[in-house]
Amino acid sequence: MTTTKSCADARERQPAPRITDITELKRIAQELRRQVVRLVAPTGQGYVQQGLGAADLFTAMYFSELRLDPADPAWPDRDRLLLSTAHNTAIFYATLAARGCLPEAMLADYCKDGSPLEINASERIGPLIEATCGSLGQGLSVAVGMAMALRHQKRDARVHVILGDGEMQEGQVWEAALMAGARKLSNLCLILDYNRMQVGGHVDNVVGLEPVADKFQSFGFRVETIDGNDMEAVVGAFARARAHTEAPTCIVADTLVGKGAPSLEGILGHNMKLPAELAAKALEELA
Amino acid sequence: MSRTSSAADQTVSDFIARGATGPLPRHYGDALVAAARKDPRIVCLCADLPGPTETDLFQAELPDRYFEAGIAEANMIGMAAGFARMGQIPFVHSFCVFVTRRAYDQVANQVAYPKLPVKIVGFLPGLTTMLGVSHQAIDDVALMRALPNMTVIEPSGPEQLAGAVTAALETPGPVYLRLLRGDAASAGIAHKPLKRTGEVLRRGPHGTIFATGLSVAAALEAAETLGKDGREVTVVNIATLKPLDTALIVDLAKATGTVVTAENHSIIGGLGSAVAETLMEAGVPAGFARVGIRDTFAEGGTTPYLQAKYGLRAKDIVAAYGRAAAQRNAIEKGRA
Repeated sequence: MTTTKSCADARERQPAPRITDITELKRIAQELRRQVVRLVAPTGQGYVQQGLGAADLFTAMYFSELRLDPADPAWPDRDRLLLSTAHNTAIFYATLAARGCLPEAMLADYCKDGSPLEINASERIGPLIEATCGSLGQGLSVAVGMAMALRHQKRDARVHVILGDGEMQEGQVWEAALMAGARKLSNLCLILDYNRMQVGGHVDNVVGLEPVADKFQSFGFRVETIDGNDMEAVVGAFARARAHTEAPTCIVADTLVGKGAPSLEGILGHNMKLPAELAAKALEELA
Repeated sequence: MSRTSSAADQTVSDFIARGATGPLPRHYGDALVAAARKDPRIVCLCADLPGPTETDLFQAELPDRYFEAGIAEANMIGMAAGFARMGQIPFVHSFCVFVTRRAYDQVANQVAYPKLPVKIVGFLPGLTTMLGVSHQAIDDVALMRALPNMTVIEPSGPEQLAGAVTAALETPGPVYLRLLRGDAASAGIAHKPLKRTGEVLRRGPHGTIFATGLSVAAALEAAETLGKDGREVTVVNIATLKPLDTALIVDLAKATGTVVTAENHSIIGGLGSAVAETLMEAGVPAGFARVGIRDTFAEGGTTPYLQAKYGLRAKDIVAAYGRAAAQRNAIEKGRA
């Protein structure tokens, strides 16, 4: 068993420094938004609206919250981040590259045949893709298993999992939530990227989730509802989740699709293609 | 409910006594605990069936490595994947039907695709339960065989249950164990290793019966009957259904010319299909017949009743041999 060794390893190793300056984090998020548009625009493949909406969550996660070492992505004592929906990859890959976890040059092959950077993130990319999700509703279960294993191994790493709102309609999410609450997995943080959009349109017009915060609270989670596009609020919520020791945290993060590019904001387009002129306009708006 | 009469109490205790069958041996459960004592990476997950999956002993002996998943198989498979990604070797337990059908997509994406060392352990294979159609796994081998990276193992009987644990641990990736508990009479039985290749149990030139699980005993009984009639057949225990010992199957089909498969599973997608695929691709023109559940759902009942009603007994194998041998004769006549 490697537990003892890796605990010693954790003490010796210095995780990459965190950025705490909110202004700097906002600047990074804005740059990542431009990258999302640049990645998606050429082919029209990928998820631009969701990426712009979740840019603040990903920025705060990778630049401020997660304990990781970009030079050693398989570091056993890293914090884990699972993207349960798996498809919001323009922002995911842009963030990983900016954080030094992926070579920037790889982004040029985003969604090209043969590239490991598929639309749905798979572990072909490497160890920082903690599970191959995409079949919706599965990420929380894997995260729960990881959190239980970390506790069993007496490691202090944390597990974060980003879920989409649409996938809350999968029953497995609630099986996993029941388990996380029952076992009081305080090393687990669920972030609901609540952008109100799924393939069929507005979540409320498909199968609404409300009152979703109450649901998670009743399942034994400590719940915070925040503006997921307010960097200070996001960073603060992550920090409070880390500090809490009694229960798993669910952060209900209200996000706005297309955030940052006024001509795209609020447009519910799950697989929105981005014509060249619209991409150029969005890039201008994000400058 | 308050009880006022001692007669009622007597009725209840009679009922309990009638229901009690005495503790069954835990060939699998004991072997798992023994393996876990040696290897601290092993953890046990169970979907609220510690007794029926023989993991109650694990729960008692190694409680810090026993994780009760509740009645939620899909989540249990995801959790097991999480444990495996953290360096543990999870053995997950339920009935065959639930751990395959109810969690198939989870097994595919979270276990099979990433080749994680998750050992998926099911009990109540095929038609072995009175609990009825909901609890009968007639397609689990077909489902698990179809998944890339998945190893599928079914011991011939209680003598191979401990060997199944060893085989699962010797396989680096995902494994599906299809297990039938040994009955009280199997207590103290000698354990035999579970081979990764076909195990020839009896040799004869007039045909080959490839059997798995519960059907191995029936195949041996059928061979005995056929032998008395001057038709000596080879019997092979295929305990590892995937990867399949195709070389042995081809060799024996060529050498004996008549092939019968026998399994406690649907004839679609299980051992019978696997052997047929093997022989067709190898271009072996053998007489061929399958014994198994013939594309039908079943009903609850005792195992002997079900094996008889759905044609899984030794006499059914003998009859299948007759069909296969006649087919072989027709093939040979066609050649002449």
